[in-house]
Formats: sequence, structure tokens, C-alpha cells
Amino acid sequence: MDATGGLAGKAVTGPSRRRRLPGLGDLSETRFWAYWLLVPSLVLILAVVLYPTLWGIGLSFREMRLNRLDLGTGFVGLKHYYAMADDPVFWLSLRNTVVWTVGAVVGELGLGLAAALLLNKDLPGFRAASVLLLLPWFLPNVVAGHMWALMLDPRLGVINDMLVKVGILSQYKAWFADPDLALAAALVVEIWHGFPFFALLLLAGLKAIPSDYYEAAAIDGAGPVKQFWYVTLPQLKAIIVASVVLRVISLVNSPDIILILTGGGPGRSTLVLSLHAFLKVNKEFNFGSGSAVAVVLFLLLMAFSYLYVRLSNVMRD
Amino acid sequence: MRLDRRQVLGGLAATPFLTGMPRSAFAQNASLNYWHHFTSTTEFKGLERVMAAFKQKNPGIAVTQENIPNPEYMSKMTAAVVANSKPDTCMVVAERASDLVAMGALVDLSDRIKKWSRYAEYPAQAWAGSTVGGKIYGIPAFTFVDWMYYRKDWFAEKGIAPPKTMAEFQEAALKVTDPSKNRFGFSLRGGAGGFKYVIDMIEAWGSPIVVDGKMAIDKKKATEAVAWYAELLTKHKVVPASAPNDSYRQIMEAFKTGQTAMVWHHTGSLTEIQAALKPEQFGTLPMPAGPGGRSARLTYLFNGIANPAKVDAAMNWISYWAEPEPAIAFLEETGYFPSSPKVASDERIQKNPLYAAAVETTTFGKLPPTFVGVAGWSETVVLPEFQKVLVGRQTAEQAVDAMMKGLEAALR
Repeated sequence: MDATGGLAGKAVTGPSRRRRLPGLGDLSETRFWAYWLLVPSLVLILAVVLYPTLWGIGLSFREMRLNRLDLGTGFVGLKHYYAMADDPVFWLSLRNTVVWTVGAVVGELGLGLAAALLLNKDLPGFRAASVLLLLPWFLPNVVAGHMWALMLDPRLGVINDMLVKVGILSQYKAWFADPDLALAAALVVEIWHGFPFFALLLLAGLKAIPSDYYEAAAIDGAGPVKQFWYVTLPQLKAIIVASVVLRVISLVNSPDIILILTGGGPGRSTLVLSLHAFLKVNKEFNFGSGSAVAVVLFLLLMAFSYLYVRLSNVMRD
Repeated sequence: MRLDRRQVLGGLAATPFLTGMPRSAFAQNASLNYWHHFTSTTEFKGLERVMAAFKQKNPGIAVTQENIPNPEYMSKMTAAVVANSKPDTCMVVAERASDLVAMGALVDLSDRIKKWSRYAEYPAQAWAGSTVGGKIYGIPAFTFVDWMYYRKDWFAEKGIAPPKTMAEFQEAALKVTDPSKNRFGFSLRGGAGGFKYVIDMIEAWGSPIVVDGKMAIDKKKATEAVAWYAELLTKHKVVPASAPNDSYRQIMEAFKTGQTAMVWHHTGSLTEIQAALKPEQFGTLPMPAGPGGRSARLTYLFNGIANPAKVDAAMNWISYWAEPEPAIAFLEETGYFPSSPKVASDERIQKNPLYAAAVETTTFGKLPPTFVGVAGWSETVVLPEFQKVLVGRQTAEQAVDAMMKGLEAALR
């Protein structure tokens, strides 16, 4: 017996240890031992994840206006949900959320896939380029938002200047002041900021595809398009599904870029549900109503994730 | 004689008593934190001077300051109240007082303040800003006096007299506007914070907002006011097209860089304008009068106490801002008006022609609306509904209908 093994053996089975923790040794021999080891993590998850979630859901059924404590904090049933259903601002925000999320995910996925395919070629300088490509993702949303607000500024913005110089615009444009353009302009910023997320994951996926598959496809007469369609895409499917779910959750829950660029305006043309909930809580101090919006968001995301994963058959694969 | 370490330490500990330092220096060993939303370099310099002077007068009280950006101030305070981690002392803008008191963020200081030696120096209006439900929650530190800046040189070029009424204001804006030179009459704040001027316009057209806790908007007058204000963009085109998204930074840059001829703000931005333009290029004026009278705000910023366990030391800190020495120091760094009329009578204010407009405004200026729910109504109803008029998505009447409905809901 080596020294370590001897000490370890004493620590577990020695008579003094056994006196202090009677039964622990016996317990470790049972089939429940693994579950006992999970208890600390489980307690932590319950405290950090489940309790706040349930508390938030409970809040949506209560009156809780921090600046109207005279109204009490009693149970109000579905009052906030009925009010939400009658509120045209909620439906407008929901519509904007769908446009915002679908637009951003499609744009980011397309650009990310293109970038990953390009970077997958072993050409000189591409290793450095792949690092540079990730830079937008490293920028905090707040920094990216302010930087683009300045670049798109109707007075000083470099983008306006460039577009006027190449003749696309005749004069500087106030992108965020036009309700028909504001959401699209914000989407450009979001796509720029988010596409490296897809590029990174898809590049990792591309690197993992065995070259034999492409060789076999080439022998069968498949050109680059067919190879992409029948080899690359199916091999990336699991990564695409997982990254889209993660990105949708992130986009739906984070209003920060819109908050910085437009504040939801002009005239609520860029108001999304997460920002609507934020304003309810932080401007109206109405925690009950804000929680109801958050619960609806939560349910929509759950339903989306479930249906998307089911429909894409990725789990079965 | 040889001294061991214990004797040396004992001797050092006894030194203050032996040198006869005043007892008060040891009577209040306390540490306070102070939440504020100062952002500019000048504001920080002013705060540093006040803190340094306070430290000299009160060596037993250590104050640390914490900056919360203004847009996040209420969110952070709300979170602090919910998490029971409120600051010891905090800066409060008058229009936020009702919401903060309603959520239990501030300590009632009525008894202490009424016994305070400088209580009688302030006008009733100054105390109204920090009074909610008859109780006083803080001491005014300084005042933002609404006024307007205008390009004196451009007005002289065109032979335009400084406007005194809204009609004259519109006329001047039309005359100065010259799109070929990228020059506009007015910087309209239609983005973040722009609700303030919509409410001001409604009052300048003679409509109240809330009376006795009830919605009191006069639909006809309010509609006229909103239509007039929005038409500066939609009809007369005397403001930049970016107005629906322009907030403080954009309107000030437009004025400072020579894109606009007039901008509405308050005395707090004077140092910024002075740094960008020469004295002969700009002037200050009281806000023009609407058909219903003049509407300009005197926004008192007061300091309140959020931690009931440190009221004694905190009172020393918040009352110190009212002393002439720190108030003048703060004025010198920031240009912010002292809230005490006694300090405001200082010759550095009275003899400065730029301040004449502010001095005049203090004679008719009003407090901002302070009913519970004003912040939510202003930011989530007034602003977006007005923006819809600015971008041509609805009429002024529809906007006022939505504002009235929203106000009723907020007060319910």
C-alpha cells in the first residue's frame, strides 16, 4: 500500500472518523449516495433559479406598485393578464419582438455562416482574421450601442457621410427618428454585434466535419453547392439548432441595445416586450404588471424552444 | 529612558486628549455614503469642493460619493429599496420625491428641519419640492432654473428681437432657418427627456395637469399646445429631422456646433455652452410665454436621508450644502443656482448679465408636477404619444386623448 492510499483509507474507514459520522460509510455504499452528493447543487439551483422564477410568477398575480403601497400587495388573480390583453401597447411590442428576433437571428445566422465558411479555408492571415471577427462580440452591448448611435448620428455620423459620398443618400438621414427605419437600423447594429456568436460556433462545427465526407461526395460528383447542402448543413444542424435557441432567448430577454439607440421610440415603433416590461417596473414601478409581461415572455420562449427543437428533429438525430 | 512598544502606542492613543482637541471632533465618528447623478467634470469638481470643505468642518464624518447615471437613478433606488440596501444620503430631484417617498426610500425630517437655523431663509416653494403629504424629506441643495439659449449673432444678422412669446419664438425660428446652410431655428427635444417640454407647453397654453389628485387636462388647450409644438417640425420644418429621437446630448451638440439657433434647457448647461461658444455668439432668455402664461420650471434638487440609523451625521452633511461657502463653491464650478435666496443674492450672480434671465425666472417659475406616478406617465405615455404626432402617425388630438387616458390610469 502506498502512503496516499493508506491515508485515504484511514480517513474513510478509520475508527475515529466512523465514530464522528456514523452511517456515512454505510450510506456511501447504497444506491442513493449519488443523489446525496447532488443535494448541495440542487439546493443552490433551487435558491438561485427556481425560487426567483416562482416568486416572479407569483408577483404577476399580486398588486405590487412600489409607489402605491396604499393599494396593498394582495392577490388580484388574472387582473394584470386581462389588462395586458386589452393593452394595444402589449400587442405592438409583441409584434416588434417577433420582427426584432426573427430579423436578428436570420441576419446573424446568415452572416455568421458565411464568415465561418470563409474562415474555414486555410488561407494565410485567416487565423488573425478570425480573432478580429470576434471583436464585435467582445464589446458590451452598452458600448456597441453608443458607438453605433454616434456612427449613425444624423449630424456627425460617419455612415451618413459615407452614404452621401457614394451617392446612395442625397442628405444625412436621421435613422432612429423615422418609425419606418428605426427598427431596421437597430437590427443592423444587433446583427453586427451578434453574428460572431454564430461564426464562432459554426466554425468549430465545420472543423469537426471529417474531410472523408467531402471526398466521398466529390467522388459521387457533388459540386461545392451540393456538398454544402448534403454534407455541411446536415453536419451543422445540431449546432445551428442549439445556437438559434440560445440566441433567441438572449435577444428576446435583452432590450439594452434598443434602449440605448431609441428608448423604444419614436412613438413605440421599436418597443419590444422586454423593454415594455422594463419600463413597467422601472418607470411605473408596477412590479405586478411588469412581472405579468415577463411571465408571458417566459412562456413564449419555453413554447418556442420546445417546438423548435421538436420540429428540427435534432434530439432524435 | 527606554520605552517599549506598548508604551509608545498608549502614548499615541492619548495624544488627542492631551492636545485638547475639541470633543466634537470625536463625538460623531461616522461614515456616510451619498448617491447622486452628477456626470460632468464640472459637477464632479463642484462636488469634490463641497466634500473637501465638509471634511474640514466635520473631520469625524467620512462621506463617500457614488455616481448613479441619471437615467438609471430611479431603477437603482427601486432595487435598493426592495433589497434593503438603501444609501445613507441621496440626491433627489423634486419630481421624483413623491415616488421615492411612496416606496419608503426617504426618512421624514420635518421636525429636525423646522428647528434648523436656516429653515426660514427659504421660500415656501423651495420646501414644497421636498415636501410630500405635509412632511419634509430633505434640504434644497441647488436649483435648475429653466431658460433658453439663443444665437445672439444670428439674431443680429437677421435683425430679430429676442422672443418674449411663443408666437415671436416661432417667427424667429422661421426667419433663422436656412436648410441650405444646414441651419435650423430650434433644437427640439423629442427623444429621452422630451416629455418635460410637452407638459410645459400644455401648461403654457393654460391647461393644468392634475388638480387635487385628479386628472385636470383641458383637452382643447392641450391639443392646441401639442399641435403647435409638433408643427415646429411637421409643418414649419424649423427643427432638425432627427428631433423625434433627439435627447439632451443631441440638442446641445446641435446648438453648440451651429446647427440650431435656439435651445430650451436650464441653468445647469451654462458652463457647457460657455466652453463651446464665445460670449458674443450666444445669450440667455427667459422661456417665452404661451397663450396661457409663462411656463418655466424651478427644479429644486434636494438632499435627503435614506438610512434612519444615521440621521444625526447625515443631517450635518445635507444641511452643509445650504451654507454660503459650499453653495458658492458649487456655483463657481458648475453655474448651478443656489437654492437659498440669501446665497443667490451674491453679487457674482446679480452682476452677471447671463444670469439676468434666471433671476427673472425665479420670480414666476413653477415647480414641476409632483404627483405620484408622474415619472411613469411622463415617460411611457406623454413622450411616445407626442413622438407619434412628430412622425405623423397620429393627430395632436389623438395624442392628448391617450395622455388623458394614461393619466387617469396612473392616478387610479
